[in-house]
Amino acid sequence: MSSDLAFALRGVGAAVGRKFALRDVSFELPTGYVMGLIGANGAGKTTIIRCLLGMREIDTGEIELLGHRVPGPSDLRQDIGVVLDHAFLVGDWRLTDVERVLRPFYPRWDGARYRQLLDEFGIELRAKVKELSRGMSMKLMIAVALSHQARLLLFDEPTSGLDPVARDELAGIIGDFLTDEGHSVLFSTHITADLDRIGDYVTLVHNGRVVRTGAKDEILDAYRVVRGGPEDLGGLVGVELIGARHTSTGAQALVRTEEADLLGGRVLVEAPTLEEIAVHIGARAPHPKPLSTGRTA
Amino acid sequence: MRVVLSNSAGAPLYQQIKEQVGTAILSGELAEGSALPSVRALARDLRISIITTTRAYTELAAEGFIATVPGKGAYVLPLDSALVREQLLRQVEDGLQTALDAARRGGLDRDDLIRILDGLIQAEQQETIQ
Amino acid sequence: MTATARMAMLDLRTVAPYRYYGLGVFALGVLVFASKPIWFVPALVLMFTAQIAPYPFSVADKAGLETLYAVLPVPRRAVVYGHYAWAVAIFLATATVGTGLALLIARIQDVPFGGRVVVTMLTLSWALFAINVAIQFPLLIRFGYTRVSVLGTSMPLALVLGVVYRMRITVASMQSWLPLIGVAALAVFVASAAVATAVDGRRVRHGWNRRTD
Repeated sequence: MSSDLAFALRGVGAAVGRKFALRDVSFELPTGYVMGLIGANGAGKTTIIRCLLGMREIDTGEIELLGHRVPGPSDLRQDIGVVLDHAFLVGDWRLTDVERVLRPFYPRWDGARYRQLLDEFGIELRAKVKELSRGMSMKLMIAVALSHQARLLLFDEPTSGLDPVARDELAGIIGDFLTDEGHSVLFSTHITADLDRIGDYVTLVHNGRVVRTGAKDEILDAYRVVRGGPEDLGGLVGVELIGARHTSTGAQALVRTEEADLLGGRVLVEAPTLEEIAVHIGARAPHPKPLSTGRTA
Repeated sequence: MRVVLSNSAGAPLYQQIKEQVGTAILSGELAEGSALPSVRALARDLRISIITTTRAYTELAAEGFIATVPGKGAYVLPLDSALVREQLLRQVEDGLQTALDAARRGGLDRDDLIRILDGLIQAEQQETIQ
Repeated sequence: MTATARMAMLDLRTVAPYRYYGLGVFALGVLVFASKPIWFVPALVLMFTAQIAPYPFSVADKAGLETLYAVLPVPRRAVVYGHYAWAVAIFLATATVGTGLALLIARIQDVPFGGRVVVTMLTLSWALFAINVAIQFPLLIRFGYTRVSVLGTSMPLALVLGVVYRMRITVASMQSWLPLIGVAALAVFVASAAVATAVDGRRVRHGWNRRTD
């Protein structure tokens, strides 16, 4: 088991009844970086995280987490922090109670750090969990994770419902967390803007499958957004229009960079943003031929 | 160290970092031996990805501007006059190529170009005198 | 402290913010049953455990604590056993305090209350508690508090009371049965824990267990 990977999924499949929640999911994250897990709601992001944590059994494939095969020893979760958009704690606990509750479970708990982080985040120790705003709840869970010296943070849709200021603060917190090269972050979201700048790696998920995974810059480089008049994008051989959108005035689609040259001069070709990639891939029909799965660098 | 990134500049972020740091080193703003922030600290401060800052530093190191120390960061290497000369030569070439392309589009010939060049040199000399 | 003990402590702290409610129930029980010092302890234990033992499930359901249980570095089994350990702790506390109070009341009312009575009542209390929890907990773990809710917590209580009433038990009539009752209750309790562990795996699979599920 290589310890230079924060985690790896290989050929993972999980079914709910006869429906597939995940199918042939493979991607990995080298230690020390942040990966964005991008996809629409219901694409399978939360299922992936739950499988990673061992909360959900997988039917095929294998998962490696911090050098251990999942399900590994329960002690593995000493090193992992989970952050959702809500605090999964009793609302009537004060933040001092939270420490009292969690401390016995974490031998590495650093009380001074907990207090310091809450102070930095502007959260009062005497406050009750239910009194915290959404953004503060998220920061509380981050403070908890950092206080027990987690080295892998799993974020599941942490920014839904947060204002841009809070989202920017989160980017700063993650950047700070990653100054230690033994730390890694998995950030699952449908808001791609969060990852546009700080994302090192990206995995695109659609209908339970991995559409693309790899270094963010490589993925951005692998596609082009093409725009043209209503007839300009029709009937071209050898070019797959991904998630094409046609209106009376024009058409827009995503194409693979190597196919973009085949499009002719009347079509505008531009580098895409992560959002455009996610949107167009998400707009595809449910079972298209799979796009090439890249590798992480 | 001063790095200011532009979202709208055509150049990719790693290249902007490379150029700004490179320029600062060439101009002496960043003295020989001075420490640069680690790739991770820089990524955190600029709010960009670590891979981006790593790439900028890697290319700066390949060109001999800086040396990276694993786990500690990077520092500025002494300016190699041959290195400086090579960088400046490249800048001159790029500048002249740009001028050449524009001249061709504008229908200017070699004599026109030389006349403009002389004019610029003269103007600079007059500035220096003043 | 083992993981199970930590989870039992977690259950305690889960309901700690609502301790006044618990004390209120206890006080109510004391008042209601004070006139019958001999049956005081079993009645109190039954009432208290029916209400308070499942209380962590209620709080956990509303707060989404299932996610916390899944994230904490404890084996899954410790989560289930922890609930049972908490219930036993509640039983011991209630039985201890209840016995003390019962002796006091008996003294005041001049009712004879010897060692034989104490042992009988404690054994009966243990049996009532064990059967109640043995029925409740697997249901709570499988279906969650919201779906099991009031019906699930009071039905075992009513069931057991009905059986006891029909059997017209007296202290004397129970003497020879005591060892059997005690051991059988223990067996049922342990079996319940095993069943609960088995059904627990299925429950965790449905979402992060938010209220909206």
